[in-house]
Amino acid sequence: MTLTPVLSIRNLEKSYANNPVLADISFDLRPGEIAALLGENGAGKSTLAKIIAGSIRPDAGTVLIDGHSVDFGSPREALAMGIAFIPQELVYVPELSVAENITLGSPPARAGFTSQRRMTALAEQLIEKAGFELPLRAKMSSLSLAQRQLVEIAKAVSRNARIIILDEPTAALEAEDSRQLHQLVSQLASRGVAIIYISHRLDEVFKTCDTIHVLRNGDLVRSSAVSEVTPADVIADMLGHQLKTGRSVAARSIGAAVLRVENLHRSTAPTLDAVQFTVGRGEILGVYGLRGSGADTVAETLGGLHPDAAGVISIGSMRTTAIRTARKSWDLGIAYVPADRKSQGLVLIDTISRSFSLPNLASITRFGFIHWYKERLLARELYERVRIKSRSIHQVVGELSGGNQQKVLVGSRLLANQTVLVLHEPTRGVDVGARQEIHDLLEELADTGTAELVVTSDIEEAVKLCDRLLIIHHGRIVLEINDPSLADQAEAIQAAGGIS
Amino acid sequence: MKMANTTANTPTKRPRSYQVSEQFVILLVFLALVIVAFALLNPNFLKLNNVLTILSISAVIGLVSLGQVLPLISGGFDLSVSGVVPLGGVLFAVLSNAGLPFLPTLLCVIVAGAACGLVNGLLITRLHINPLIATLGTLSITGGLALTISNGLQIPFENTDMGVLADKGIFGVNNQVWLFIGLAIVMHIVLRSTAYGRRIYAVGGNGEAARLAGIRVGAVTTSIYVLCSVFAALAGVVLASQLLTGSGTAGIDTNLQSITAVILGGAALSGGLGGVPGTVVGVLILGALSNGMSLNHVPSFYQTIATGVVLLLAVGLSQRRRRIL
Repeated sequence: MTLTPVLSIRNLEKSYANNPVLADISFDLRPGEIAALLGENGAGKSTLAKIIAGSIRPDAGTVLIDGHSVDFGSPREALAMGIAFIPQELVYVPELSVAENITLGSPPARAGFTSQRRMTALAEQLIEKAGFELPLRAKMSSLSLAQRQLVEIAKAVSRNARIIILDEPTAALEAEDSRQLHQLVSQLASRGVAIIYISHRLDEVFKTCDTIHVLRNGDLVRSSAVSEVTPADVIADMLGHQLKTGRSVAARSIGAAVLRVENLHRSTAPTLDAVQFTVGRGEILGVYGLRGSGADTVAETLGGLHPDAAGVISIGSMRTTAIRTARKSWDLGIAYVPADRKSQGLVLIDTISRSFSLPNLASITRFGFIHWYKERLLARELYERVRIKSRSIHQVVGELSGGNQQKVLVGSRLLANQTVLVLHEPTRGVDVGARQEIHDLLEELADTGTAELVVTSDIEEAVKLCDRLLIIHHGRIVLEINDPSLADQAEAIQAAGGIS
Repeated sequence: MKMANTTANTPTKRPRSYQVSEQFVILLVFLALVIVAFALLNPNFLKLNNVLTILSISAVIGLVSLGQVLPLISGGFDLSVSGVVPLGGVLFAVLSNAGLPFLPTLLCVIVAGAACGLVNGLLITRLHINPLIATLGTLSITGGLALTISNGLQIPFENTDMGVLADKGIFGVNNQVWLFIGLAIVMHIVLRSTAYGRRIYAVGGNGEAARLAGIRVGAVTTSIYVLCSVFAALAGVVLASQLLTGSGTAGIDTNLQSITAVILGGAALSGGLGGVPGTVVGVLILGALSNGMSLNHVPSFYQTIATGVVLLLAVGLSQRRRRIL
């Protein structure tokens, strides 16, 4: 590669509240290069991408485009210089047509008036130039996820983007759609567009990309050509050298199976294919998978969010073929801790005490009336058990830190006398201290005989917390690890990334 | 490090539960100001007879508002009360003129109200129609039914004994006032001290979280609209009893007035907030305003302007402190 770099990063640094997120990052990107940006959650990938795309400013260091130093104040300025960022969660207007979405920023207008016809004509022109084929008159909401992604990329190319940053573009796609997307990315690269490709899927990275950059805790620990490394090297780079191996506590005695899931299927994406497992009394079973792998679907199905997922689910003596509502999930004896505490878990304007009561109303009411003394007792007990830091038990949940909010959510599910605790991303977006405390709590609970299913996309959590770990890829369980340790992380990531 | 975390999260903001009571105090001050101002302007304002008049008149809006507070807490609202109130009044007049005794007549009207509410609830929870549109539609239908049944005419009570709900009662206070006070206490207890009340607040505070906590959100929401329409139908009976006439146009401004009163009382369109005490004070403010202005011969057009100003003032004042989340 002898071309001059289209993008150069020199000594980039960024920290939030004295917490370094990126430290001394430097690398080059040449026209036509597909560079993979890899790293665990929180390694700094998104921050780096956002700095390049102009949505946040670095604390130190320079970004050079064609050898000239730039300082973007907004994504608009970056776009004008030919840098397009395509985020995980696409931003578009679902009820408008594809053509309208493509011309949204700058519709063709004469004296302030525009027309369907003129917009479609312009979009056609732009799309043709970019070498795409899309149903321009279709509504955005009628397209498949993969097609919507194509529209976003087409939009970027039509605006003469020379650098396109894709943030986990295939996370929610099916295999076939992923393949198409890769073809397109390769085509764009062959025409000189430089691509930064953020992904967790190592198989894709090794098939599609030219170079690999690995971030770990804000440091760029590897920059090399794909041909020079193996997936194992990359995983070792991502994880770093972790000295601690093995569990600190003695293995628990695990009792008879209380939750049994057999032949669980779901045909709409993210699909599930013959998922089968059991969770025993006092066991913490982990399910690990990447976004869109189906791991989330397993948790959500047990929580009653996917009535279309069918199989045989038995808890104790109860059996069902599908959990159609969240209420049904409770009735079966499942306490589900949802992944997103703010939108699914908590009533943010409620007090801690009221949040604890919400799933436990039946146990503190008589003839429909709330027994104040019982409510206090319940709140005090849970407050002590999950060790929340707050001014009082009547503080409003929305004012608490993320870690304390998560403790409130987990706590609210503890007293309901449910047979199985299903925890979906139990420590997402939680600080290290709270994370450890939640882990300790979950282990204590298992020691007293609670059956727990932990679905997580955090590999360290998966291997440290769980007695047994299932790895899901494309809706199938591809690996089972008994008594996992930190040393098993590499194998788990490989399996989840589709490398066998 | 953990401690630093918590102190960082405990700045000047006070818990929401205190804020609600703070807002309640503001509301009481508002009411006091209105009363003092009118008392100074007109010595008759505070005379016992006039106070009883204010209460009697406020009872109708009050009853509608006791229902309206439920949809607002749950994050919706009910415009159709303006159709159900006249429908309730007309049905009461027609059925009692047909010779039905008081209690069966009342029961029939309440069942009719519940049916209207059931339609609202099912439109909103089953067909997922936005409450604005759903209740706008049923507003037209119920209002139209009221006019159809009354044939657009006033229907005087043939037997004036049927107006018992608006008669003078204990301590010379009209029965509808006692009815309002009693139901206000009941609703306050329901909202504050029952599991059902908790569920309503949770549905409004975060419907998805409520659902995942095992609450049957659809059933709770439907029941809310049923109750709201029952209160509206009852208010219709009271209004007709006051006039001893059923009319297809009596009470057609009750929807916006009741929403105003409930919002004055601390509810928010986003749901999860509001309650009976605030709503009662909100109703009294509206009642005192309109009565005081009438006493001072201010044309009724100005009264609606004043209502609007009071609403915006009260909400504007509390809004500044509401920006927590």
